Amino acid sequence: MRLAFDEKGADYLLATREEHGNVAPVLLRKGEDPGAIRVDVPYQMAMILTKVNKHVKDGKIAVVARKCDERAIAELVKRDLLDPNRLALIGLACTAEQVRECRCTDPCPSTVDIGECAEPSTEDAPVAGVLGMSLDDRFDFWIDQFRKCNKCFGCTLNCPVCFCDECLLEDKTFTPEKGIPPGLAFHLIRTIHMADKCVECGECERSCPADIPLLSLRKMVNRDMKELFGYVSGDPERRSPLLTTLDGDPMEDDMHAC
Amino acid sequence: MPVSYVLTTCPYCGTGCNFFLQVADGRVVGVVPCKTDETSKGRLCIKGYNAHAFVNHPDRLTHPMMRKGDQLTEATWDEAMGKIVSELKRIASVHGTDSIMVLASAKCTNEENYLFQKLARAAIGTNNIDHCARLCHASTVAGLLQSFGSGAMTNTIPEFEDADCVLVTGSNTLEAHPLIGARILKAMEKGAKVVVVDPRDTPLSRVATMSLRQESGTDIAWINGMINVIISEGLHDKEFVDTRTTGFEELREIAKKYTPEKVEEITGIPKDDIVKAARIYASAEKAMIAYAMGITQHSNGTSLVRALANLAMVTGNVGKESTGVNPLRGQCNVQGACDAGALPNLYPGYQNVEDGEAKAKFEKAWGEALQPKKGMTLTCAFNQALTGDIKAMLIFGENPMMSDPDTGHVEAAISKLEFMAVVDIFPTETAKLADVVLPAACYAEKDGTFTATDRAIRAVRKAADPPGDARPDWQIACDLGRMFGSRGFEFESPEQIMAEMAAVAPIYGGVDYERIEREMVRWPCPTKDHPGTKVLHIGSFKMGRGVFAPVEHTPPAEETSEDFPFILTTGRNLFHFHTGTMTRRSAKLQREAPDPYVEINPDDARSLGISDDASVRVSTRRGEITLSARVTPWIRPGTIFIPFHYVEAAANRLTNNALDPIAQIPEFKVCAASVEKA
Repeated sequence: MRLAFDEKGADYLLATREEHGNVAPVLLRKGEDPGAIRVDVPYQMAMILTKVNKHVKDGKIAVVARKCDERAIAELVKRDLLDPNRLALIGLACTAEQVRECRCTDPCPSTVDIGECAEPSTEDAPVAGVLGMSLDDRFDFWIDQFRKCNKCFGCTLNCPVCFCDECLLEDKTFTPEKGIPPGLAFHLIRTIHMADKCVECGECERSCPADIPLLSLRKMVNRDMKELFGYVSGDPERRSPLLTTLDGDPMEDDMHAC
Repeated sequence: MPVSYVLTTCPYCGTGCNFFLQVADGRVVGVVPCKTDETSKGRLCIKGYNAHAFVNHPDRLTHPMMRKGDQLTEATWDEAMGKIVSELKRIASVHGTDSIMVLASAKCTNEENYLFQKLARAAIGTNNIDHCARLCHASTVAGLLQSFGSGAMTNTIPEFEDADCVLVTGSNTLEAHPLIGARILKAMEKGAKVVVVDPRDTPLSRVATMSLRQESGTDIAWINGMINVIISEGLHDKEFVDTRTTGFEELREIAKKYTPEKVEEITGIPKDDIVKAARIYASAEKAMIAYAMGITQHSNGTSLVRALANLAMVTGNVGKESTGVNPLRGQCNVQGACDAGALPNLYPGYQNVEDGEAKAKFEKAWGEALQPKKGMTLTCAFNQALTGDIKAMLIFGENPMMSDPDTGHVEAAISKLEFMAVVDIFPTETAKLADVVLPAACYAEKDGTFTATDRAIRAVRKAADPPGDARPDWQIACDLGRMFGSRGFEFESPEQIMAEMAAVAPIYGGVDYERIEREMVRWPCPTKDHPGTKVLHIGSFKMGRGVFAPVEHTPPAEETSEDFPFILTTGRNLFHFHTGTMTRRSAKLQREAPDPYVEINPDDARSLGISDDASVRVSTRRGEITLSARVTPWIRPGTIFIPFHYVEAAANRLTNNALDPIAQIPEFKVCAASVEKA
């Protein structure tokens, strides 16, 4: 609390705390009893921040943020969807176990306020497993995974960088309303849409009732983005290389239109 | 605070997922999953993610209404409540209290259902109290009660993940109970074998280890066929059969007749598949059976449930973790409404109305004389309204004009009533016919508890105020009770109501709000220091031994004919819920499944000259509807499927009101139909 309101000068704190025997997101005003703050359950705070931000008209919000939250917020700020002057980040370092689970290569927030940074992950067995398959096997693998999709939209609803007002996944042309599972287009459209935004927070995979390895899919696309364009999502300085003019220069405006 | 997150329980199926309602400036605006919830584990289905969407819909009822001629016009609460009480009193004095039927609601809380049945029994003076469990799992309650001594799911939702085999029948689990379906997928990933027996290919059957497609209405045959294989191959659990059950010899005799060859003839399932499925189920260390309406909604539904209980007992799959017979209950609180006594033959906690001791106990607790005979079921009540024996209905949160079989029959029955009052959140098809309509608070606007399908008692928390003058059902029931002059309706909070229910229903004896606040309690939980019960029937059954029922295959009430050559079966899809009152007012759900449709096999479609999306007319002996064809190999030839969510082509215009003799559940799953181009 002291951290949020005194050191960071915030008017609100967005955190998680114990409620009803569970861990719940909570927005606290300065001076309010914080209750039992808990930071051990990884809620996607950048996603919750965008929901909260719509309704908090003024004042500064401090948010407990892991490195992936920080990177997601950078993507949102670049697109003018969040005002950085009204935000303060309280850096939360992920535990070694959390880092391992996400196979996270960039776990350390730029300012560490809570916890200690664990070593980045150097191995990614699920991705290695998929890459080790022949192309035919890999195709079959993904088809088998996507057949389990129950179209809950959890992967988009919980994604911190899924922000379009109108979602192509709800467009009849691409995903006609004929029940489940949705066609391959559903997953491929989303995969391409995430290409220059995904911060590898893993929330899509954690939210998936069918345990489709969506984080592996995102990581593989991100790897291509890095190899092809040298671009890493979540970089506060660089714009997406996909937003280019025909001359090869990045476009100057309307970034968030894409 | 501009934004808050209120932990509550999903208002759709009976899985009991908890989530946070996001409240902004006093309005419910969104849903966020709860990562620490044991049931959902931070995952939801599309209905759960959209559970906020109907709450602020402009169609919400906001003020009481009374009928003036053919119009419903705005009234005050005093006028509307006064009218209900004076009409019911008048009708009771002329025709007796048993001419009144009260319908409780599987969408209301335990506390409210407790009050509804108390209102009927203690204040109005009739055991005529029932609710839509009659239409879904009445045969489960009756069947499992006879076989095991308890009518509820024997095991719990998390246990699905650790089963070695899951036999799923008559349950489209991934669409109707998505988060239970997810657990079954997880079990498969861990090596479990999943066998689905269903006339339709479902999203689960398409990924299952084995998928068997039987002709609708032939389930006892394939279940007995599996038992035949299990016994003849010596795969049955002899020790369990000897020490824990009675009636095995009779079962063995009956099962002898159901050879795989004979079963193939009756059901259409290849005999080798019967043998293979029986071996998979019987040789698993821990095998769970999950079932739903495909089993229960038959005119022999109780026998069908008992057949499944036979199958579980013969293999010793009862009374252990990750085994058992697991009815998946379809509504957020259909389990709780039964627990709370919203049934014509049972007081709260499944105590028999016709048991003198139980009656004396409740008379003492409630301070009113009670009726000695069991009351009328919901299905029976509509029949009796037609004959003039039921004169009035008081309906809390039910929509029989959409949910009950043979809508034409329901409509005729309602038109014969002298008086009908409906308490609901939207102007339903039933409310539009009422004499008095009261606006109720929805799940997001009140406190209380729901009991999930696995007997877990889950908190419902108020997130926002009800719209306009709408009020929670528990307050409405308290006021009605008081206006009838009954004591015992002086409750100031749902917590007080639960305290009374716990005092009279031993299975809830140890339940209180302080415990619900911090832990997941599953009944039976007789005392405050009792931890609650995950697995039923460990060591012994409630009545000592489990009882095998030698049940035989009987054909459905209505068979196909030259004029009606198709078998029509009905059910849900993923995106809508029941009569559509809530989901069809939720934009994202409506986008996914906007229009009514009938599923028909490509072979049948071809012979009738019907193409995909073509407009077709489906008729039965009771009515006809027009809707678009969905031509799909997912349904077997000769069978058609219609979801019952759509008022513009209401499937229940077609369904048959044939009733199971014991549970009086209608045969929604089989009737004879014809299809033609419209």
